Amino acid sequence: MEISQQDLHQILKIVDETENLAEVQITLGDLRLHVRRFAQPDERREAMTQSVAEVPMTRRPPRGGESAAAATPPAPPTKLEVPPGMHGIRAPMLGTFYRAPSPGEKPFVEVGQRVKADDTIAVIEVMKLFNSISAGVDGVVDRIVANDATLVEYGEVLVLVKAD
Amino acid sequence: MAMFNRILVANRGEIAVRVIRACQQLGIDTVAAVSEPDRDSLPARLATKSVCIGPARATESYLKAEALVAAALGTGCQAVHPGYGFLSERASFSRLCKESGLVFIGPSPEAIDSMGNKIAAVRIAQEVGVPRVPGSGRLETANDARRVAAEIGYPVLLKAAAGGGGRGMRIVRSESEIASAMESAAAEAGAAFGDTALYVEKFIERARHIEIQILGDSHGNIVHLGERDCSTQRRHQKLIEEAPSPVIDEELRNRLGTAAIKLARRVNYQGAGTVEFVFDSDSRNFYFLEMNTRIQVEHPVTEMVTGRDLVVEQIRIAAGEPLSFKQSDITLIGHSIECRINAEDATRNFMPRPGVLTTWQPASGDGVRIDSHCYPGYKVPPYYDSLLGKLIVHGANRLDATRRMIEALSHFKVEGAPTTIPFHLQVLGHDDFKAARVTTRWVEETLLGTL
Repeated sequence: MEISQQDLHQILKIVDETENLAEVQITLGDLRLHVRRFAQPDERREAMTQSVAEVPMTRRPPRGGESAAAATPPAPPTKLEVPPGMHGIRAPMLGTFYRAPSPGEKPFVEVGQRVKADDTIAVIEVMKLFNSISAGVDGVVDRIVANDATLVEYGEVLVLVKAD
Repeated sequence: MAMFNRILVANRGEIAVRVIRACQQLGIDTVAAVSEPDRDSLPARLATKSVCIGPARATESYLKAEALVAAALGTGCQAVHPGYGFLSERASFSRLCKESGLVFIGPSPEAIDSMGNKIAAVRIAQEVGVPRVPGSGRLETANDARRVAAEIGYPVLLKAAAGGGGRGMRIVRSESEIASAMESAAAEAGAAFGDTALYVEKFIERARHIEIQILGDSHGNIVHLGERDCSTQRRHQKLIEEAPSPVIDEELRNRLGTAAIKLARRVNYQGAGTVEFVFDSDSRNFYFLEMNTRIQVEHPVTEMVTGRDLVVEQIRIAAGEPLSFKQSDITLIGHSIECRINAEDATRNFMPRPGVLTTWQPASGDGVRIDSHCYPGYKVPPYYDSLLGKLIVHGANRLDATRRMIEALSHFKVEGAPTTIPFHLQVLGHDDFKAARVTTRWVEETLLGTL
């Protein structure tokens, strides 16, 4: 079973909103999600960041609430270190990152999928111009780092591929 | 229109810092659009947020209009400040911003277009009765140039229609030089501006560079804020600027100001702009040179003597607010001088030399202002211009300002890269500068000639 970033945020939201819930563990195939929460908001945030870090799909803790998210500019993208043995596919330009060729269509790649160097793994839109991003290496998609339909900076890591 | 919540700063270096400071003063968030080597630069740190728009090469970052617009839209900005240089005078960028629902902090694409082409600008100046240097329109052949030059008399100056910064410019002293000068000037103009069109003008031997700062709002108000004298230049690159000019009196100031306003009104000018004139020290005539449709590097000297914040005014005007003052509110107080501190070795033909600033200890004190993006340990990248910062002083009069500037320069310590500080000390200590005898070719012909 595939779990999307959105699903994950949904799960975290439910955990966040449920009172008297201290800890949740979910195992779905090779995905293990472990969330702990504390009474102190700061501690809770930190704990969630840590637990989320165990999940191979996200890079940012969910925000406190809609109003807070709207009032402050989005946080700068995390400077991601590419783990050894991994190939980080970086954005060759600033623009909007899309996982699928158009809304509603299947994403170019999913985690666990085998890709060839020439395969398109995403598109980046700059002013209505869509630029195909290819994998650059043969390997297996390990993690989709960038959020779908968000602004990515030049040089930002989009996808991690475990190179052959 | 309401005031902006967030502005994209589409530039780098000291002007990016300057714009961020103005936004902070107005309570506006800023997004610094930076190239890869500028990720850790001072503007990136001072801005509310920064976004990397591309690699070092300017054509793939600071000159990439689509990336800047995408960055502005993607970060929720309502307006874009272009600074100076880069995209600041590209009508196409102003237009792209507008079409994308962003406010370009500067004039309309139409106003940039009409002033950006030097030949068109000169024609507009003539139409509103602002004198121009005797000369030609667009030249097709060397024969055309010969005919005009014979009429106005040698020496003449060949200039690029799309020009600026001295590129595509040649002094021609006799008819025999014209053909080869045209060829090399056209090649240089083509490489620099993508346009080989040239025109010819009478060459004024003892010229001073005088420019008028103007501000126009969207309610039809246009004012001038007096002149700047930028005669201390080397190869048409300004090095020292001052306000007011030591050679302009109140009567001449009013005439220049009126001419500049007339020109600006003709193109419905909105925002900050500068009308540049050549001043003939011998005849005391002035001639229209060009109009710059952006904030200028040397804008601080005007701010020092008028007490007005030009960048804040630019932003307020772009948001649709009326000017916060009238022409009669503008009075010039004291005298201000600016020295451009460049990472250049004046003893080696002003060769730019990037490096790590192991020491950066700017001058400070009463009447001293520094506009800079440098800090101790800053690595000056080799990809962009060599301006490290601007040292600006304000004094009771020209003599006082000169004394303060010499004092400030002497206490400005920079190590790790050569700077123009020793050069500035030479100029300020020279009798010709003190007596206001400097012309636009003085640095090359007199100062450097005698060293």
